[in-house]
Amino acid sequence: VCVHGAGVSSREFCPLVMALGRDHDAWTVDLPGYGRSGWTVDLPGHGRSGRPRVTVSLPALADALADWLKAVGLVDPCLLGVSYGCQITIDTALRYPDRVGSLVLVGPTADPAVRSLPRLTVRWLWNAMYENPRMLPLNIADYRDAGGRHVFTAFQESIRDRVEDKLPYVTQPTLVIRGAKDRIVPQEWAEEVTRLLPHGRLATVPNSPHMVPFRASDELGLIIQDFLRDHEGAG
Amino acid sequence: MRHGKPVASFDSTTGMLRALARFLDGRDTPLIGQADGALEAPALALLAGANRLPLRAKQFLYAASGWSEAIPAAKAAEVRSSDLARHVIDHYPRRRYPVVFVGSSNGALVHLAAALGAPWLPQTLLIPVRRRKGHPDDATADLHHLQPSGEALLAANPDLTLHHMHDANQDRLMIAGMSYFRVKWHRLPEVYREFLTSSLAPGAALVVVECTQDWPTTRVGERYLFQHGALGGATPDEFRYGSGRVTEYLARLGSPYTRWPAPEPDGRSPEAEWGFDPALLADLEELADQKGWHLSRLRFSNPEHLSFAVADLYRRWYADRGIPTNRLLVESFLLVEPWWTLRSGSVPYWMVFNTDPSHTALSDYLDASDPYDEIRMTLFSHGVNSVGLAPIESWQRAIGRARKVGSFVGVDPDAYPRDFAVFARAHRALSRIRARYPMPIPLTLAAAHHLVQEDAGRHNIAWDLGRQK
Repeated sequence: VCVHGAGVSSREFCPLVMALGRDHDAWTVDLPGYGRSGWTVDLPGHGRSGRPRVTVSLPALADALADWLKAVGLVDPCLLGVSYGCQITIDTALRYPDRVGSLVLVGPTADPAVRSLPRLTVRWLWNAMYENPRMLPLNIADYRDAGGRHVFTAFQESIRDRVEDKLPYVTQPTLVIRGAKDRIVPQEWAEEVTRLLPHGRLATVPNSPHMVPFRASDELGLIIQDFLRDHEGAG
Repeated sequence: MRHGKPVASFDSTTGMLRALARFLDGRDTPLIGQADGALEAPALALLAGANRLPLRAKQFLYAASGWSEAIPAAKAAEVRSSDLARHVIDHYPRRRYPVVFVGSSNGALVHLAAALGAPWLPQTLLIPVRRRKGHPDDATADLHHLQPSGEALLAANPDLTLHHMHDANQDRLMIAGMSYFRVKWHRLPEVYREFLTSSLAPGAALVVVECTQDWPTTRVGERYLFQHGALGGATPDEFRYGSGRVTEYLARLGSPYTRWPAPEPDGRSPEAEWGFDPALLADLEELADQKGWHLSRLRFSNPEHLSFAVADLYRRWYADRGIPTNRLLVESFLLVEPWWTLRSGSVPYWMVFNTDPSHTALSDYLDASDPYDEIRMTLFSHGVNSVGLAPIESWQRAIGRARKVGSFVGVDPDAYPRDFAVFARAHRALSRIRARYPMPIPLTLAAAHHLVQEDAGRHNIAWDLGRQK
């Protein structure tokens, strides 16, 4: 189950869902054309899920995800978060441990060393130089769908969340993945995330910036498949 | 001649010396100790730019950086042993030390000395000498052209033995325009004697580091040895007789040779870079006897045998201090960082070089040890795919043995073994590790010895603590 980052939506998962769908029994929800190949969910306030009147906090997003998992009835699913989506999946795994089998955290935010909007913006812009330009139209569409207020809130929530305090209590097996050219998530933070997780393991995808699912979906798919094989029954 | 100038700053001994001396002065070692830490960012930008140059330009820059440090052959006679010794001791803060190490160069020894807060006086230094003639694959020509300079150097320095060394495998780029004169003291230089006398109190310990690694050599004169090849990826027989992979390597470089012409060896001698010449022992014993110091002897037959023992020592030490013992730092050649090793709570494991034998030794260590959660690794880059160099995939598999985090420290896997930015990046990456620990007070010699002896069955070292003389 792929959970998107701040302000964006499940659109960026298209390449990854295609890669995973080759070998895995999974569905897509909102990406017509790819058939039964993976779950992607647009959380409230993001993508085409419709804009709620009030901005949505991180715990509320985690609650929504947990409710969705319960409604669909997945058994020990593997939650895959990207960027801010990692913080949502971590919160879900902590508060609803029986609904989550394992976690994959791709480019987990937010590095405590850049816990301010200006610093995060600088890193975001720096990283953008390395991203695939073909992602830009998707980003623009996502930000338009979500609206400026929701995007801003999501960034604020990401910074406010002290994720490092939560990591030691995650009981599920967790794979942390970082793109080697990720400028938002430095290597030392990815290592620290992994160290703090009781059952964490770090993998690096060469030559990829922050949005690994878009830039290096095939490599990412292989890494995730290995992880799922190792934790069969927990994913 | 400017003081200290003839000694190569790119050499293992001087790199290790700088790292240990800075550690004893309470400092870390950015830019392998060559420049101030404030220059790390611009130097990194420069070196990263050099990484993007075409292959030939990169190789030329690497060779030129070494050549710029070499002395003209005519100046070899002006080298003075006392200047070399002063160059060494000037690195260290002057104070009383409970222990001083003297002898072989070794990266693991740097960590052992750091744990004890002790300096180390190397027996061997490298003096690079410019050579205008001779193909880098022709060791015979190297000896022929530089022998007069070597003899002049020895005539001026009766306390030195010259190990004229020619390794067209690993030093291929460096020796294109220069020769390697490795000098070993077979008598204790007066400057070392003064340093020891002023630094060691009665009852303190002098530890002689004796790596018995040897190599086939040709005797040129009473104190003049020529060593073809060196400890690394190729075997002594491959240097002497050639092999399929030597021929393939030479063809890849476009060399007119299919094997390396060299003088026939007529014996074996202490390996030029790592081996200990036992001739020095008599003076050390006599001095220890006079001054009432313990004379301790630390012996091992391969440089990496000490790596195994020092890694175990650190792991036990961390356990005793109540800090995690699950973080391994694998270092290579002169990329040693004792200050950040201790601050990051890393167990140090040092490799002579990034070669297949070193890879096997590391694998053996990992097989024989409790698993590590984190394995970090630095890899020295010497610019060529030399015979026996382990490919990056082998090292990726090695760090992949970590249970949680396996990562390179400052290494660009795509650029290896031509990753010149690693000299700046490795320190920066180490200094950014988030979980850190306080700097401990130094171990006593007895405590360090005890920690090593607890795992004595696992090690191929003999450490005799010695009695007070």
